Amino acid sequence: MLVSGAALLLACAAFIGYDLVSFRRAAVYNLSIQAQIAGSNAVSAILFDDPSSAEKTLSALQASPNIVSAGILTLDGRPFAAYSRNKDGKIPVLPSLAAGQDETYRFGGGAVLLVRSIVFQGKPTGTIYIQSSMEGLYARLKLYAGISAIVLAVSLLVALLISPIVQREVARPIVQLAEIAQLISRDKNYSVRAEPSNTHDEISVLVDAFNSMLTQIQERDGALRRARDELEQKVHERTSELTRANLLLTQEVAEHKRTEEALETANKELDAFSYSVSHDLRAPLRGIDGFSQALLEDYGDKLDSVGQDHLQRVRLAAQRMSTLIDDLLKLSRVTRSEMHREQLDLSAVVKAIAEELQHGAPSRNVTFVITEGLMADGDPRLLRVAIENLLGNSWKYTSAHSCARIEFGIDQSNGRPAYFIRDDGAGFDPRYSERLFGAFQRLHAMNEFPGTGIGLATVQRIIRKHGGEIWAEGEVEKGATFYFTL
Amino acid sequence: MQHFTAESPVSASQDQVSPRNRLLIFWVILFLIPPFNLRAQQPKASEFEVKAAYLYNFGRFVQWSPAAASAKGSSFPICVFGQDPFGAILDTILSGESIDGKAVVAKRVSKAQDALDCRVLYISASEDSHLKEILAGLDKAGVLTVSDIPQFSQRGGMIQFVVVANKIRFEVNLTSAQDAGLTLSSDLLKVAVAVRRSQQSGD
Repeated sequence: MLVSGAALLLACAAFIGYDLVSFRRAAVYNLSIQAQIAGSNAVSAILFDDPSSAEKTLSALQASPNIVSAGILTLDGRPFAAYSRNKDGKIPVLPSLAAGQDETYRFGGGAVLLVRSIVFQGKPTGTIYIQSSMEGLYARLKLYAGISAIVLAVSLLVALLISPIVQREVARPIVQLAEIAQLISRDKNYSVRAEPSNTHDEISVLVDAFNSMLTQIQERDGALRRARDELEQKVHERTSELTRANLLLTQEVAEHKRTEEALETANKELDAFSYSVSHDLRAPLRGIDGFSQALLEDYGDKLDSVGQDHLQRVRLAAQRMSTLIDDLLKLSRVTRSEMHREQLDLSAVVKAIAEELQHGAPSRNVTFVITEGLMADGDPRLLRVAIENLLGNSWKYTSAHSCARIEFGIDQSNGRPAYFIRDDGAGFDPRYSERLFGAFQRLHAMNEFPGTGIGLATVQRIIRKHGGEIWAEGEVEKGATFYFTL
Repeated sequence: MQHFTAESPVSASQDQVSPRNRLLIFWVILFLIPPFNLRAQQPKASEFEVKAAYLYNFGRFVQWSPAAASAKGSSFPICVFGQDPFGAILDTILSGESIDGKAVVAKRVSKAQDALDCRVLYISASEDSHLKEILAGLDKAGVLTVSDIPQFSQRGGMIQFVVVANKIRFEVNLTSAQDAGLTLSSDLLKVAVAVRRSQQSGD
């Protein structure tokens, strides 16, 4: 209130002040022009010493109601002619003109007095003064001041009267809203609502909006809480699940380890056993085979064909057993030996073995497709054995077909690159694929394809020792593909 | 226009001079001193000082037509025809003045032909009898004629000095001026005692 009152007052004062200044300036300007006109009209009167003519000129100033008096002085300051409105003939005290100054004026006594030098054709000829009353202006200014004061008082009064109403209708609801907002943000109690306004104005709109916003906040808050609780519960559940799973896993791992250890021990025992057994079994076999042969050579002519046939069969059986023992020995050697890993050219190994096989049976028509330059990281001796077995198998199981195709390459299709050896021979029934790698397991009869059933078990051992995997795909009579990784 | 200050009388000392001589000195001094006014505030100029000033001021309120100005030179001659009543006063008052950028010079002439290039010409009372010839000689010459000669303005002159209520005033013959190609300012006319618009009536 105080501020606005002061502002209003200041504004009024500024306007009045400006009015005063500008009016004064206008009055002086006006007077100056009148002085110039009157002065130039009186020049000849001064020069030719005709005061009455000068007085006549001055009397024309009667037309200006504000002009109180005027006069003309000669160059040496003597009064020459005068005019005064109320005919009192008083000559006021004149301010003097400084050197080089044409005109000067002075405000005082409710009037403005202008003194001007009369110059004719560049030569000073006399002086004229005019006195004009400022009463009119001051009266107007007083009126302005009065009006401003009244307006100010009235507006302050009105403001005073309106203030409580405004307070009640506008300020209080807003303040209330602010308080509620503060309360809510402090206590986080979203069930609080503002008192709705019964007037249908902007304030009530604000209050309603505020309340609906609070309802929304409350709902959101509730939803948030529920979600949080749910989440907590879920987390709890998952954590306990995880803990349980972890426990189980740890148990399994421990068991696994135990099993592995047991397996390891079992394997070792087995290896030792097979080694010693093979050695021990060899000796009698050699005896059987040797003596049978000796019998055949020395007394063969004494026996009839049946007898010879029997002896041959004995020999064959002994030889077969020998091969079996050899394979077993190989198997155990594989597992017993230490591994030295180095970079080697698998393709070269395959090629070499393929050549050997071909050399061993030159009549067979077999096409080898060997991918060049495939390197591997592994034990050269063991890998040679593995390749020998795999290629040997392929060679063996394609012998029934007149022409065969054996491939060696690398297969990238399943993400992990795997070497493969593929043949288009007898294949195998995929239903029995689990038995492929079992020791002494054979999927074919002895009269179809000879073999001990140890080969693939050996290969598997070797591959596993390299940390790789081996698996096979195949179909009956459509060939087989053995994949392995290292 | 110059103003004269009043001077107080000199009182002679009474001690070392004989009474009769004292009186003589008193009267001599009295006669030597120019006339004074007891009221020191009111300086009074002599008649011809005023008239000389007026001659100068007349020149400031007159416009010469191109035809009238054609015969004039680069100066502004204010001339006196005939017996000169001004004397040195005229030169003193006119010295250093100028009108319309032209230097004012005082000149004395005795023949009309010599006056042809004058701007303002004061015809002395001594020429009263020759006035007609003088004026005829100045016909259409663009010369502002001023004089004290009685009925000057009725006789074809332009400005005639008159004395009214102990003041030097003047009458104007507008027609004479217009005939000579001169335009007199209304400011001048309004302070004239009379403005005639008559033809030259002759002598």
